[in-house]
Amino acid sequence: MNDEKRPGGLTALAVLNLVFSGWGFIGLLGFAAFLALRGAIPTDKMAEMQRAQIEALQNISLSVFAIIIVLSLVSNALLLVSGIGYLRQKRILGRMVGNAYAVVSIVSSVVSGLMFGAEMGGGFNIATLIGLLYPVVTLILLNTTFRDDLTN
Amino acid sequence: MTSKAPTMRHIRLICVYWCRHAVRSGSGLVYLMIALVFGLSVAHILIMPVEQLMLRQKREMGRTDPQAVEDLIVGVGRPITQWVLGLRSMQEIAQQNAMAPPSGADERSETGSAREETGGYDSWTNFLLEEKPALLSAILLVMLFGMPFVIPFLAFNQVSGDVQSRGLRYLLLRTERRHIYFGRFLGVALFSTLVMALIVMTIVLYLAMKIRIYPALALLSWAGQGFLALAILMLPYIAVCSLISASVDSPFLSLVLAKLAIAGVLLLAVLGGLAWKPAEYLLYLLPWGWQNHLLHPEPGHWLVAALACLVYTSVFLLLGYVRFARRDL
Repeated sequence: MNDEKRPGGLTALAVLNLVFSGWGFIGLLGFAAFLALRGAIPTDKMAEMQRAQIEALQNISLSVFAIIIVLSLVSNALLLVSGIGYLRQKRILGRMVGNAYAVVSIVSSVVSGLMFGAEMGGGFNIATLIGLLYPVVTLILLNTTFRDDLTN
Repeated sequence: MTSKAPTMRHIRLICVYWCRHAVRSGSGLVYLMIALVFGLSVAHILIMPVEQLMLRQKREMGRTDPQAVEDLIVGVGRPITQWVLGLRSMQEIAQQNAMAPPSGADERSETGSAREETGGYDSWTNFLLEEKPALLSAILLVMLFGMPFVIPFLAFNQVSGDVQSRGLRYLLLRTERRHIYFGRFLGVALFSTLVMALIVMTIVLYLAMKIRIYPALALLSWAGQGFLALAILMLPYIAVCSLISASVDSPFLSLVLAKLAIAGVLLLAVLGGLAWKPAEYLLYLLPWGWQNHLLHPEPGHWLVAALACLVYTSVFLLLGYVRFARRDL
């Protein structure tokens, strides 16, 4: 019955959530691998700009990386759970968790931007805007277009 | 029902309804995401090297030198722009580079007449790179090329889904086929235009507030023209999707056919042109051969290009309507 009522946009949002969550977890694995190997990256043959970036990343403390990993982990888990919630049109699992994902993801983007300076490829740039795109769209849609569809 | 006022009211009503429910139905949401990510990614790829250069200048000299940055953009962008506009081939560019390797900064310091002698300078490239903000010109050129591939995600299901589910029969009790057909076309065009405005506005704000190498007024006026070019260019491609959507019953088939038609014409013309030169004229089956002229310095050129887009739109839209008006729903 719910499946019949579910708007196509909500299904699309759920699929996007599941896809982005999968990418996020793969990205986290890559980040963890970088963390483990960051001391062993040879920088002597790199271009000056690239070397500066890698050295700046090597000098960041582990606690900063821990904060970023935890925020990303939480954000990806919320993305996965809310994707399932959208499909089942659940109020808490869909709308609440989806809103929580959007807020955590926006905070995570801002924190990453502040912690990584421009010389490390961070700071505020268009990539930050692209990163904010999906959480902002989620926040808007869940509280306007799909507000009355997540009621179970 | 046949008088002019109710017709316009119905078309407007269907247009606004389609536009409001585009996101809810899914195609609008997917298009919104793909178009925003595509537009902003293009901007990011082109702006990021400039930001890195400015960062390096700041580290080495303690300040940024906007003139040097602009000169480098023009120097690097000139051969690429000439190739994109079809003014010179890759071979000609490679030959010129082999004969006299110029650096952008050095070139700019020469006099105008000396520049002409170094070869290949033309008013169109100069207009895009020197008279207008070069970074924005580059972004607009890539978007003019790329957005036709994105538009089918929004326009593929104008009527085919309702034909498949037979839902149109209920709608036809209250309105006419032409209202539905043209109203939905206008709804897609309106939604696409709004998304274009959002993308161009975001990029311009970023260039004006973060990069700061171009005057705000120059950015705004060029962005306005670029936005209009993008908005007009989307119309014939939306009309192609209208024609396909009116001809087939399945939305998925409609999407595949729209993608094949838009990309296929370009691919056939380019690959066919390699084997047989006249095959390049296939580009003119769609606005591929005209669309860069929307950013031409001569008003005659961009007016003709815009008119050509409108003619394509009318032809495809009319063909689609003839098919839609006669088919069994």
